[in-house]
Amino acid sequence: MGKKVLIIDDEEDIRSFLVELFKDNGFETMTASDGVEGLELLKTEKPDLITLDLQMPNDTGTAFYRKMHRDEQSNKIPIIVISGVAGKHLAIKKPFAIFDKPIDAAALLETAKSAVGQDG
Amino acid sequence: MRKVRSDKSRRLVDIVYRTLFQQVPFNVAVIDRDHNVVDANDNFARRFGDWRGKKCYNLYKKLHRPCDECPSAQVFEDGNVVVADSVGIDQNGKETHYVGHVAPIRMEEGGPVEYVMEMTRTVTGTRSWQQEYQILFDRVPCYITVIDRDFRILRANEAFRQTFGDKPNQHCYEVYKRRKSKCPNCPAARTFRDGQVHHSQQVGTKKSGEKAHYVLSTSPLARGEKEVAHIIEISTDITETKKLEKEIVAAERLAAVGQTVAGLAHSIKNILMGLEGGMYITRKALKRDDKEMLAQGWEMLERNFDKTTSLVKDFLSFSKGRLPELQMVNPNDLVHEIIGLYKDIAESIGVILTEDIDPKVKEAPLDPKGIHTCLTNLVSNAIDACQMSEKKDCRVRISTKDTRSTLTFTVVDDGCGIDHDIKNRIFTTFFTTKGGKGTGLGLLTTRKIVQEHGGKISVSSKKGEGTKFTMAFPRKRLQALFKDNIA
Repeated sequence: MGKKVLIIDDEEDIRSFLVELFKDNGFETMTASDGVEGLELLKTEKPDLITLDLQMPNDTGTAFYRKMHRDEQSNKIPIIVISGVAGKHLAIKKPFAIFDKPIDAAALLETAKSAVGQDG
Repeated sequence: MRKVRSDKSRRLVDIVYRTLFQQVPFNVAVIDRDHNVVDANDNFARRFGDWRGKKCYNLYKKLHRPCDECPSAQVFEDGNVVVADSVGIDQNGKETHYVGHVAPIRMEEGGPVEYVMEMTRTVTGTRSWQQEYQILFDRVPCYITVIDRDFRILRANEAFRQTFGDKPNQHCYEVYKRRKSKCPNCPAARTFRDGQVHHSQQVGTKKSGEKAHYVLSTSPLARGEKEVAHIIEISTDITETKKLEKEIVAAERLAAVGQTVAGLAHSIKNILMGLEGGMYITRKALKRDDKEMLAQGWEMLERNFDKTTSLVKDFLSFSKGRLPELQMVNPNDLVHEIIGLYKDIAESIGVILTEDIDPKVKEAPLDPKGIHTCLTNLVSNAIDACQMSEKKDCRVRISTKDTRSTLTFTVVDDGCGIDHDIKNRIFTTFFTTKGGKGTGLGLLTTRKIVQEHGGKISVSSKKGEGTKFTMAFPRKRLQALFKDNIA
């Protein structure tokens, strides 16, 4: 069983890209197009890793993070921020890593593996 | 009997004259050629003290020699009444202003002037009022002039004289604006005509040659005449304010440029990542020789290419800092055009597009391309809102109206509505709720075009019930812009 990654981004093409990328590298994927959907999936699916966009309609990434953090169950899940906004390093308290868009796919995969404890 | 009557009548005359001498509301003193006060009434004594055995200059001015300019001396010399304004000191040592009539007294008709009668009236209270007003007039931080019907400056305060020069009797247009003839739209001329106060903004030239921006009010100087004979022009200098305004606009523009660049970078990064995804999937499809996947990757590439195109297009139309190209158009025709363009597309996705135009709407100077862009943006937003709504049939209605000298266009939909939170952000750069589909520039561009027309755009909305956008254009401003446009 591969590790589960929850991909949250409002851009469909970015979601499909990340889905393909993660699937090709042995992850299981699920997607949400905004923070609200993301929170619902968090309850039902229990992902091992989250990639989070910051600027989205219907709840920003920051708001999603705040809400998720209140939940004891899910606040240990590592988050990788993937965003093009300036100041993204300030948006979330303790992300596992931050990636600018467009991403360096190899580096993202390496980081994702180490986040779920599969590195090396 | 005759003698008795004559004695009585003489006594009456004496008493009348004595009473007059005492009761007349003046300080009356009779003075001989040597400045001795030989008689004075009680008013005089109360003001200047006991006069017996004193010289007039002792009493009026507490001096020990005759005044430099002695009005009585002149009366003794030429026998004519002199009216003089003086400042003296009363018996309590207080400065006192008085106006005096000095009249000759001859003991025989045609004889020499032997005495003079000085009748003075204290005007200290009035004088201090006058002084206060003079100070107020001069020191108030406004330019004040009084002009007559020939537009000549009769009086000007210090602030005016310092800024525009001390040029009494010149025409106001020469001094304020260095013009040879009356200004067009002269607000003073209007006040002369209708007797009302008029306000206007003006640009003049200071004596230093600098431009002066000022807000002018012209008021009739009421003197009870039937027609206005004089006008007081009061202006506040707003040159500094204008300068500050310009600086603020420049600063805001810089800030906007910064925000815009940041927003643009963000949009481009998203598109780049979409392209990156398209390339990844295409490469993978080629490796596996998977046609279906190839199509998916190619589609992603195309979609993000299109996004780049529309971003650049919107961005250019937003950044165009041009004046609207106004021409007389029928606003209703613009609405018909939009309906024609969108009706079929709207219907195909279950949105009913209707118009509710006011046939009385008159032609207006508008930039047809600009208004077309605005209506297109609002209508396509409205259609999107309908699609995002859970209702089956949604309606979008475009209407026009001419109310209270304002031309309005409204676009109403009963789609999904806007959150209060989001309502505050819809006019900010690159804000979009449409994910990758929107550039976040539509409403911003719309507002910009409306503002360039001197109009205002407003929005009211209820989540789940619909949204109404109103573009209101005051006719007066449109006309003013139109004039500038032609010029």
